[in-house]
Amino acid sequence: MENQKVEEFFYRNNEQVNNPIIKSFLSDSNNLYLVQQAILYPTEHNKKLVDESFQLHYINVRKIKYVSNLIYFFSLDFDKKRRRLQNRALLILDKGLSEEGGTTAKELMEDASVGTGLDYLVGGGLLDNIEDELLLKSLQKLTVKQLQILEMIYVKELSIKDIAHTLQTTPQNISNLHRKALNKLKTTLREKEE
Amino acid sequence: MAILENRYNEETLTIIENFIPKIKQCLHNTDFQEREDLEQEIKLKIIEKLATVDFQDAPSFWDILS
Repeated sequence: MENQKVEEFFYRNNEQVNNPIIKSFLSDSNNLYLVQQAILYPTEHNKKLVDESFQLHYINVRKIKYVSNLIYFFSLDFDKKRRRLQNRALLILDKGLSEEGGTTAKELMEDASVGTGLDYLVGGGLLDNIEDELLLKSLQKLTVKQLQILEMIYVKELSIKDIAHTLQTTPQNISNLHRKALNKLKTTLREKEE
Repeated sequence: MAILENRYNEETLTIIENFIPKIKQCLHNTDFQEREDLEQEIKLKIIEKLATVDFQDAPSFWDILS
């Protein structure tokens, strides 16, 4: 009898019961119990209990929905605002060179530690710049280290001190190796000329 | 009054805590340097909105169901 009455009620309101907010409200067993009580004993008090509970539920759902939307749209707005500000006050290096943007000043900066300009492209090595075949052959007989030092002294025009620093040794040592290399060159060249 | 305020604060806190995964997810909408800022801004905004927006006009259960 009791169950029938409740079932009848839900059947009559089938459409509304399937409404998400009613559905979620009734999925709480406490609420369902309150509703059942109100159907069986439709007193003002019972109805009021259901209403109070329902209103709390409803407000809660609205708050959650509201906050959820708030988070999403606020994050989008925040990023938009940030971008606008950033574009308005660009760092000089980040600015595009032409009106259309594209390349920025930052991208055109050269790395000073990498060899400069044409030398770097053509190959400024010592052996690349030798035209005399005899000299080339004698140079190839030197050790790699000696070649390196000759290249730094005569092609790159570094000071002995700088070379010592890059090779992590003493200037005296560089000087020594330099002199030995020249001597060796001299003797091999003499031999070949004879 | 103090009790009411306390309850209200707790409610706000639970809402924010429950929404932390969602907030974290939305942080990806901005640059990684800005994420901490955004997280704080969102939380502030939630607190502000929950305090000011009126959610009180819920319909009666018996109006919806006949």
